[in-house]
Order: sequence, then C-alpha cells, then structure tokens
Amino acid sequence: MDDDVITTLKLLIIGESGVGKSSLLLRFTEDTFDPDQAATIGVDFKVKTLSIDGNKAKLAIWDTAGQERFRTLTPSYYRGAQGVILVYDVTKRETFTRLENWLNELETYTTRNEIVKMLVGNKIDRDDPEVDRNEGLKFARKHSMLFIEASAKTKDGVQCAFEELVEKILQTPGLWESENQGQKVRLGDQEHGGGRACGGYCSIP
Amino acid sequence: MSSFVTEVLASSGKLEKEDLSCKISKLSRKVEDTKEEVCEMINKKYNDFLPSLQGSEELMLEVDEVSKEMDVLKNCIETEVQQNVHVAVAEYAKLKQQLEKNTVIITMLGHLKEFHSAMEESNKALQDKKYVVAANQLQRAKATVDSLKGWKTSQLPLLSALSSELTVQRENLIYHLGDEWKRLVIWRLPSSKEPADLKSFLKVELNLSHSCSKDEEPGPPAVLCSVLQALAIQGDLQHKIKLFSQVLLKNMLKPLVMFPSLSVRVTEQPEKGTVLALQSLEESQEERSTPSQVYSKLLLVLTTLHSHLLDVFIGDKKLSAIMGELIWEEISRCIIHECLLYSIPNNSSQLEKYSTVIKETEEFEKSLKEMEYLQGDSTDLLKYSQDVNCHFARKKCKDVIVAARKLMTSEMHNTVKITPDYKLRLPKLPAPASEQKVKQESRKDEVTMENSKQLSAWSLCLPACRISESVQQLMELALNTLCESVGSSTQCALQLFFTVRNVFQLFDDVVPTYHKENLLKFPHLAAIQHNNCMYLAHHLLTLGHHFRAHLPPLISEGVATFVDMVPGFRKLGAQCFLAQMHVQRAELLERLSTAHNFCNLDDEDNYIAANKAVRQVIHQLKQLGTVWQDVLPVGIYCKAMGNLLNTAITEVIAKIMMLEDISSEDGEHLHTLCQPLIEEGPLVFIPLAEENKNRKYQEEVPLYVRKWSTFKELVIVLRASLQEIVDRWADRKGPLAVEFSSSEVKNLIRALFQNTERRAVALTKIK
Repeated sequence: MDDDVITTLKLLIIGESGVGKSSLLLRFTEDTFDPDQAATIGVDFKVKTLSIDGNKAKLAIWDTAGQERFRTLTPSYYRGAQGVILVYDVTKRETFTRLENWLNELETYTTRNEIVKMLVGNKIDRDDPEVDRNEGLKFARKHSMLFIEASAKTKDGVQCAFEELVEKILQTPGLWESENQGQKVRLGDQEHGGGRACGGYCSIP
Repeated sequence: MSSFVTEVLASSGKLEKEDLSCKISKLSRKVEDTKEEVCEMINKKYNDFLPSLQGSEELMLEVDEVSKEMDVLKNCIETEVQQNVHVAVAEYAKLKQQLEKNTVIITMLGHLKEFHSAMEESNKALQDKKYVVAANQLQRAKATVDSLKGWKTSQLPLLSALSSELTVQRENLIYHLGDEWKRLVIWRLPSSKEPADLKSFLKVELNLSHSCSKDEEPGPPAVLCSVLQALAIQGDLQHKIKLFSQVLLKNMLKPLVMFPSLSVRVTEQPEKGTVLALQSLEESQEERSTPSQVYSKLLLVLTTLHSHLLDVFIGDKKLSAIMGELIWEEISRCIIHECLLYSIPNNSSQLEKYSTVIKETEEFEKSLKEMEYLQGDSTDLLKYSQDVNCHFARKKCKDVIVAARKLMTSEMHNTVKITPDYKLRLPKLPAPASEQKVKQESRKDEVTMENSKQLSAWSLCLPACRISESVQQLMELALNTLCESVGSSTQCALQLFFTVRNVFQLFDDVVPTYHKENLLKFPHLAAIQHNNCMYLAHHLLTLGHHFRAHLPPLISEGVATFVDMVPGFRKLGAQCFLAQMHVQRAELLERLSTAHNFCNLDDEDNYIAANKAVRQVIHQLKQLGTVWQDVLPVGIYCKAMGNLLNTAITEVIAKIMMLEDISSEDGEHLHTLCQPLIEEGPLVFIPLAEENKNRKYQEEVPLYVRKWSTFKELVIVLRASLQEIVDRWADRKGPLAVEFSSSEVKNLIRALFQNTERRAVALTKIK
C-alpha cells in the first residue's frame, strides 16, 4: 500500500458519444491508443496514481458511456466526484453545442459545489476542425472551467489535462480530504525534494 | 209672527174635529157589520143544524136492519152451498187427469210414428245414397227419443229398444259415410316404421277422387258435399276433419315448409280424380326455402283442397273455416319457426328488401282469407313479418354473441403481427353536419396556430407485437356490428350497441377462465394474452368515439363509449402476464435452491449441483427469451427478461455473500460458475426476430438488470488480490463502493483471505 498517497480523488469523464473519452483515459493510464476503440457500455473504471508538487494522489477515474441510452445510469456516478472532464470533438460542432446539456446534468447531480471542471477539445490531430480554440476558451471562461485542447492519438495535452485538473482540485480547500491524519501537505513549487521551502505546512485534520 | 201661530193653532183644532168625525163614522160602520155576522151565525145553528141531525138518526136505524138481513144470508151460504161446491171440484179434477193421460199417450204414439217414419226414411235415403236426408231423418228420430226420455216418469222398456235401434242405425250410417269418405279421400303414406326424413315424404300422395262430374261444376262434387254435411249432422265430422288435418299437416304441409327440395304436383287423372303428390325438385343448395316458395307450395295444396273438398257449407260455416281453425295455429308456427325465422336478413342492407317478403305474406294471408281458411282479423304471419326489425335485431345480437363466444374459446396460439402503423379498418362514416361547420371556421386560424414541432405520427400507437388471430377477428366482429347499427332503426341500433358492449364484457368473463390452465402453463400464451388485452384496450379507447355521432341520441348523448372498460382490460392483461412472471421466478429460485448454497465447491457433488443449477437457469432464460421473441413489444420484453435475470443474479449474490469461508479454489470455482451468467446472461435478450438487431439490447443489460453491476463487481472481487480490491474501493470513490457497503466488502475480504497483517491493513482502508 502506498503510504505517501495523500488522498484519493474521484474524477469523471463525460461528453457526447464518440468524442474520445475512453481513448483519453487509455492514453493517460496505459499510454496506448486504439483506433477501433468500441463504444463504452455502461461505465468503465480505472485507477492511477499521480504526483503533483510532490504530492501523490490516487485517481479513481470513471469513464462514462456517452450514448443516449445509457444516460439513465450516469447520474449515479456523479456522487462524490471532485473533478470532471468534459470532452468534445473539435471536428464535430454538434459535440460542442451539446456541452450545455452536459453541464446542466452535472449541475443537477453533483454533490460538491466546488467541483473542478475541465473542458477538453479532443482530436486536434485532425485537420478539419469545426470548433476553434477561441470558442472553446470562451465557453470555458463563461462557465469557470479549465480548458485545454488535446489529442489522445498523439498524446498531445493528455497528461497535462489530468495534471492541471488534479492540481486545481488539490488547491481547492474543502474539496478533498486527507487520508492520513496529520499528513504534511507540500504546497508550492514542483521541485522535487525541498527547493523553496516556505517552511510552513498545513496540518489538515 | 203672532198671526202665523194663531193660524197654526186654528188649523190644528179644525183637524182634530175632522178627525174625530171620521173615526166615529168608521166605528158605526163596523158595528153594523158585526150585527150582521151575529145574525147569520144564529141562523145557521138553529135553522140548518137541527134538521140534519134528525135525518142522520133515521138513517142509522135503517142500517141496523140491513145488517141483520146480511147475517142471515151468510149463514145460509156457509151451510148449504159449500158442500155442493166440493163435490163439483172433485169431479172436475178426475176428468182433468183423464184428459191429460190421453194427451200424453197420443203424443207418445205420435213420436213413435215419427220415429218409425224417420227410420224408414233414413233407410230409404241411405239406399239411395242421399246421405243428408238420411242424416236428417236420423236426427229427427233422435229428437223423438230424446223427448221421450225427457219424461222421467215413464220407464218404458220400449225406450231402450228404440235407443238401441237408433244407435244401430246411426252407426250404420256413419259406417257408410266413413266408407264414402275413404273412397273419396285417399292418402298414401310412408309406413310408420320408416324414419321421417326427406325420402319417406316423397311417397306421400293425396287422392281426391270424384265420381266423374261431366258438367265441370265448380266446387266439390255433390256426393262429397252430402257426405260431409251428413257427417256434420251426425256430429262425426269434427273428428274426421281433425284426423284429416293432422295427417295433412304431418305429411304434406310441414314437410313442404321444412324441405326446400320438396314440392307438390297436382294432376287430374280421369279415373282416379285429383292427385296431390309430393315430389322432389333438384337438390337445392339452400337449407331453407324462401317464404315465397313456401307460400306458393302451401297455396297450391290449400287451393286444390278448397276447390275439391272444402268449399262446402256446414251449417253456417264453410268447411274450410273449420279446417282452418284446426290447422292454422300449428302451420303458422311452423312457417314462422322453420321459414320466416331463417328469412330474417343478416345485414341491415337487406332489411329494406324485406318489404317484398312482407307483401308476399300479406298476399298469402289474403288468399287464405278469401278461401275462408282464416278469419278476417287473423294476422299472425303478417305481424311476425312486420316485426322484422325486432327479429333482425334479436337475431343479429344472438348471432354476434354466439360468434364472439366461439372466437373466445378458440385456440389462442395462431397469431398475427401488429405493427405501429396498424390501423383498424374503420369505415368512413359521413361527417355529421355540426362538424363541418366547425372546420370551416377554424380554417382561417389554421396557419398561425399550428406548432412547428409536431409529435411523431407513431406517438401513442400500439407497439409492434403479436396478438391472437381470434382477437383480431373479434375486433372485426365488433366493428362490423357497430357499422350495422349506424344505418339501423333506433331500437335496432340500441340493441346492437349494447350487444357489442356485452361481447367485450363476455371476454373479461370467459377468456381468463376458459384458458386458465394454458395461460399458466405456457409463457408464450400468457404473453399473447397480455398483448390481446392491451390491443383491445387500445382500440376501445377510440371505438366509441368514432361511432358516437352516428348512434341514436339516446346513446350518443351519454353512454356511447367503451372507455370504462379500458382499465379492466389493462388490468386483465397485466395480471395474466404477472402471474406467468411469478411462475417463472419461482422456477428460477427453485433451480438455484438445488445448488447447495454454493458452499464447499471443492466437493465434486456440490460443484456439479451448483453448475447444473446455473446452467439450468441460463437455459430457462434462453428458452423464455426465444419463446417471447417477436411476441412481446420490445420494451416489455426487455423489462421482463431483465427482471428475471435480476432475480437469478440477486439470488446468486445473496448466496455468495452469505459464505463465511471461501478458499482460493472455491473462489476460482465460484468465478467459473458465475462467468457463464455474465457472458450468456445478456445473450438471452433477443427481442427481435432479426438476429443482428438484438445486439443493441444485449448491450443495454445494465439498464434492465438492476444488480448487473453489483454482480460484475462481485465476480471481479472473487478473483482479485487485496490491492485490487482496495483500488476498486478507491476510498469510497470506486465502483465497489457504489455497489457494496463497507461491511459487505470487509466480510468478503475476511471470507476470501486468511487472517494476515496485510489483510488487516487492507481492511482499514475499507471504510
């Protein structure tokens, strides 16, 4: 068992069917890409440990099915989620316009008000985008979301997406609980092994 | 002033004086009168009264004398005269008796003479075949005997001799008459041993022979007339005619009515006379003759009989009338029940044509009345045929119910596919006047009011499924009946409408009871029955509405609907299907109970039992999935199958959770046992007949089977390491935490892993 894992975070990946949610997860957890990835039935689950600023967090990542017929199942997965990745396909405008619906659903079912949302525009490896970066950025700003464009195929931006999300979560007070009592939380620069030690630490009960 | 007073006073004094003189003169007049009256009175008393008194006294003396004389006379009479009178009276009485006796004897002798002459006459007449005369004479004789008998005082032995002779003669006459009758009217009948069917009736023949009447007189021959009248006089005619009519009815009239291929032929043969023979036409296709056929056949027989036999006056009635009275009731009943009843049309379109039948009936009755078979006021047949509307409605209703019942008790497993675009073949009925007006008004607003987003044309349609053919036919029967009612009279329409309601109520009563056993035994039939009920409920919603405007006001303003029956049908369908689900569920649980609770799977027997149980469960579900394929609507199919699969896996989960100690081999075994459920479970979902379209539903198993994810997690746990379990729990954020409580997971860990340090650490992470 890992002793230096400070917390387990529940992350959710949602979005229209076929935008690349499962591919993003696969790239993140196993660093592979399957061009014939089948549509997810119900929900998929993967665990991965990530280090941010020397803090190790265990990520419980839920990859939901985007197809309409499985929508009745997804609400039960929102419970306790601390971060959510909203994915759209830059080459399909429809997947972008329907983000509003997903946000609505999220707002309805989420149990934490400070949940961190990240918008990911996937498949930037393609050369026929219908949604440009500015639009994505604008949308994200409007809804107080993080934003990144990525490609699961080329692995471009994938790691970054997850890292930023986790970082933001860890920085949000009250959004996560420490696993062990009195665990020291190291905030500040990413430098491994000390660096600028501000000396202070917070003991979060 | 003083002069006025003195004047008044002076005048008053004058007046007094005048008044006084007046009064005195009056008084003196009165005195005079009184004087006269007194004078008169005295006169009367003394002048008139006294002489009259004297006169009266003298008269009294005379009266006394006269009364004395009277008394003397009276005594004289009493003594002398009386005696003489007695004697005279006795003498007269005797004389009178004598006279009476003489009279009686003379009368008797007269009767005897009558009797003798009557008998002689009758004998003579009988020789001459003058039957009427003979009969009359016999009647005379009878009258005399009767009057002789009337004198009860005489008990003559002669009387008995007379009566016996009379009887003998009478019998003789009747015998002769009978003989004549037999010769004139000859029947040829099938023997009584033969069964009364069509073939035997072909032998029937009636022969009305007549001594050749060369003159071609109209009416029956004179001999016949005389025979008949004589019989009437003797009182034997009724009996003979009754017999004749019975034979006629049984062997000729009724068969003619009942068998359409029988007809009658009248021939005149010189030696034999008139012959009425029954013959057979070519085999007619119909089962029953039409009224006109029957009428013409009967009329032929009756007219022939009338002209050759019955056109005779008996007393003041015609023989045909007497015969008519005897046969009419039976023959009219026969015509009504064997002919008219079946001529009642089946459709209201034929009802209008029925007026020809009514006319024919009227003609028939008229002809009978002309021949005096019928009285003028008898109209049984006509009344029946005029009531055709009533009969039509009743017949139609009966036919409908009978047909409906037959459909309901017929086999259910012949099915018909119903697709969402299925429409009942509702007739195009003319729009009632009010509707058309409304349409015109709303046309102007139409453009602006229509919503741009429209519901799919398939909204609220019955989903694709299979129903019994018989139920579809039942619906058509109801539709046809309602269509009939649209054109009918009010009475008829009412009856037909309520008959349709009865049909549906009958369904509710008959079908669950009649098919009860099969519905429990065969899940296929239970599903079909469910669909049947839903199909009927679906169409009943709108059926009343479609016809409402065309039904008579009595119904259309109130009860022209079947909507009240809809909940009943839905409930019926649901109950039936749910009962089957219970049966299936019970069976699944029964099979799993043979699995020995999934414990000690190292033991071969236990493992085999458990494996068998699981295989049986899968097999049962597969069977069911196949049987219900294409029958149930897809939604219900998936729900039902999901429910049953859920039952199975819930039971398996419960059993596994109860295990306290699962060795690693056991864990493997359990995993192997559960794998088929996970792999083949979804495959039982094959709602559509097209195989490749079912994949979609198989993927949706998590939606239909509530505990599917739970089961999958459990199966993962059975083979997982401690770390994997902890990861999957993920501090309450993993799927294991969604499906199980922390205590359940801890129990599983305790059952699966030995009590080590590592296990303890893992347990702490499950909270």
